[in-house]
Amino acid sequence: MLTEKLSLTQIFTLIINFLLGSSVVIGIGMEAKQDAWIVVLISMFLGLIIMSFYFYLMSLHPGKTLYEIFEYCFSRKIAIVFTLIYSIYFLYLSCRVIRDFGELISIAILPVTPIEFTILSLMMVIGYILYLGIEVLGRTSEIFTPYTFVFILLLLLLLYGGERINLNNIQPIFVEKKLIVDSIPSILAFPYGELVAFTVVLANVTNFKMSRRICLISVAIASIILMAAVFLIVACLGENTALRTNFPLLSAARLVSIGEFLERIDALVVYVMMLGILIKSSVFLYGSLKGLEYIFKLPFRYFAMPLACITTLFSIFISVDFSDHLIEGLHVVIFLLHIPLDYGIPIFITFVVLLKKWRHDRKGLTGVKV
Amino acid sequence: MNYFKKILSINNKKDIPSNVKPEKAREIHLNTLTFEALKEEITKTFGSTADLQSDIFRFGKSEGCIYYLETVVNTEMLKEMLGSTLQNSDEEISVNTVEDLHRLSKKSFGVSGYKLIDCVKDMVTSILEGRIVIVFRGVSQALSLSYINSEGRSVTEPTTQTVVRGPKDSFVEDVSTNINLVRKRIKNQNLRFEKYEIGNETRTSVYMGYMNGIVNEKILEETRIRLKDINISAIFESANVEELIVDKSLTVFPLALNTERPDAVATYMLEGKIAIIIDGSPFVLVVPAVLTDFFTSPEDNYQNYFMSSFVRLIRYISFMIGLIMPSAYVGVLTFHPELLPTTLLLSVIAQREDVPFPAVVEVLLMEITFEILREAGVRMPRAVGQTVSIVGALVIGQAAAEAGIISNIMVIIVAITAIANFVFPNYAFANASRLIRFVLIIVASILGLYGVLLVLVFMVAHLSSLRSFGVPYLAPVAPFIIEDQKDVFIRAPIWSMNKRPSYLSPNISQKQKAQGSPSPPKVEGEGKKK
Repeated sequence: MLTEKLSLTQIFTLIINFLLGSSVVIGIGMEAKQDAWIVVLISMFLGLIIMSFYFYLMSLHPGKTLYEIFEYCFSRKIAIVFTLIYSIYFLYLSCRVIRDFGELISIAILPVTPIEFTILSLMMVIGYILYLGIEVLGRTSEIFTPYTFVFILLLLLLLYGGERINLNNIQPIFVEKKLIVDSIPSILAFPYGELVAFTVVLANVTNFKMSRRICLISVAIASIILMAAVFLIVACLGENTALRTNFPLLSAARLVSIGEFLERIDALVVYVMMLGILIKSSVFLYGSLKGLEYIFKLPFRYFAMPLACITTLFSIFISVDFSDHLIEGLHVVIFLLHIPLDYGIPIFITFVVLLKKWRHDRKGLTGVKV
Repeated sequence: MNYFKKILSINNKKDIPSNVKPEKAREIHLNTLTFEALKEEITKTFGSTADLQSDIFRFGKSEGCIYYLETVVNTEMLKEMLGSTLQNSDEEISVNTVEDLHRLSKKSFGVSGYKLIDCVKDMVTSILEGRIVIVFRGVSQALSLSYINSEGRSVTEPTTQTVVRGPKDSFVEDVSTNINLVRKRIKNQNLRFEKYEIGNETRTSVYMGYMNGIVNEKILEETRIRLKDINISAIFESANVEELIVDKSLTVFPLALNTERPDAVATYMLEGKIAIIIDGSPFVLVVPAVLTDFFTSPEDNYQNYFMSSFVRLIRYISFMIGLIMPSAYVGVLTFHPELLPTTLLLSVIAQREDVPFPAVVEVLLMEITFEILREAGVRMPRAVGQTVSIVGALVIGQAAAEAGIISNIMVIIVAITAIANFVFPNYAFANASRLIRFVLIIVASILGLYGVLLVLVFMVAHLSSLRSFGVPYLAPVAPFIIEDQKDVFIRAPIWSMNKRPSYLSPNISQKQKAQGSPSPPKVEGEGKKK
């Protein structure tokens, strides 16, 4: 069988869409009010550090997934426990991401259609894509991403041309410093911490050395797009409305009206969101599938469709309604899951790997002497 | 219970026992048969066919027998040959041994491509190919001569892939004419053709043509293996071969390109692709094919490159229009009327007031009617052509709208969809989009524009999983290859395209030396001013 490889452009588009994913749907850093865009700007640098950390972890064993690194550190039995934890974690995140989008669709686009159906149809597509493999996911994202850029630029231009951007909304700048500092930790967990999923994907990159630069560039570009989105939201809607609406960017896009012809372009925003969600959910689900592949030693394709169905089911079950879902995501999950699994275990693993390597090197040295 | 068994057993009945069995040519060596026994064997193999001729003649002192199928052999030429070579020979000559036969064939048929045969099976094959076979008494080899009657259509203008400017010849059914058309364009010793015989019953000759040294060896070897592995009773068209050699058959998209233009085939071969020419079909297959090939016409290279680039963009746009226009109509009217500007929405709603159906029924009705018309247009006898067009234009266009079955805007949408679908330079790809359009309409009626987007994502995922002879179908867009972008969405000027497409990984990627744009001669003295 052909080994599946991701080209650099594909990894580039994957990371951008992954970061845009649900963050562009529900908005990030909104607690910082008019300074939300500064929060995103600061966290961009933190995001770069986080990405380089994950990349460093991967570069200790190029071509190996996180699960195989577990096995390197411990025995296979312990590695299976860790793998199972991560597999379930990724599955859960996939459910959350899909739920975000399902709520968006059922609130804003198709109010009468049951959310179960919209989610199921999207998951079937994701299941099919993953069944075809990560390469297909990469190519699909490669084809659709240019439109994302065009649409975001168009949104910026149209909002500006329609004189909807009110710079008074973002003043005063940099006053409530405490709010800024307070809202940074949540951003570190979501969306940047979630980049941990790429510790599974990056094992398939063709040019591993070059991909480090590409990864960092894509994180930077995605952050800039996010910053532009957050800036647009606050500047167009004002901090009050921005904090209150469920889908701030969608509300901002609905303001566009030029010559009574170019209006209601929220379809473009929904496109950007849908692509982001599709990629993000697929990457998480792929991480989960790879975990199952590691545990059961069966090709991950076998699990693609069943796991897609399970994701559909649990995306409905994880919360009662949208507010419940948001509270769970922004206040519970961050400390319970994100911090330990995004940072705790990876840092611990890095130390173990370094220790093992160090001991191995020493052994090797003594071996040469004897 | 027994009764049912009886009924069922009717279908399960074995073949009716019959003593008529298909004859097979036996592999008997000629030296084991006498002159008469051989004649009997041949007549037995061909049975009662009316066109088999087996005539005994005298040649000098010896006696010979000539076998041929009179319907396939060019009898005029045969008569001429018999008159000049055999009857004018002197009485002394005789053919009694294999050496005599060799001498005779070298002397008389040296340049006309004779073959010496020593097996009954080969004799039968030769006769079937349209050659004549001569056997002399007491000689254990037979002489096979080519007098094939190659009557067929003469080279005409292409019917499906027309151009305004460019060569106007097209392939015909006869394979040697087709190869000749390609050879005329590429006068190069590296242009090679390999012959295969495909079809257990039809034994159709299939030629695989390629540019040796340019084409990628792996792709060539893969094509060879696939052609060799074909096991089928009959092929009549290149489409039959296409279905048997493509990478995946569970898809609506064509994975091999077909063209009836020799200039297109020559261009593709020089890029490093492989042409498969099938006897009896004016459509030549070109593999590997990528999606962007279906959006390029040979004429793109024959006109101004700004115009070509523009036309290519039009093709991509019309592909999207042909694909999503009807489903977008359904989706917008059913789920998102707010997306339309208010005035347009009002006029659409006003038109739809009298229409008794929901949008999806209206669209399906019209699209299916159009497909019926289209199919009728292709199949009908030429004489009734006018009737169909009048009925189509009047009934479908005007009367249906006036009768209130459909709205006027629906007619516009069906029309633009149809026209957009005719833009493709390649018919096979247009068919794929016709099928997907119906899926899109139905999904749009359930999930609106969200569903349309989902199906498009599904389609792109499917497309990116496809491969044509190992080459990714969406190359060079996904995986994105920047060097190959000169001939995808736009066409760069011909002097700037120095490289062959790298997704085909050709042996020699450089086409010619890099050179600049042609420019007017430098005026003397202008350079000296400084």
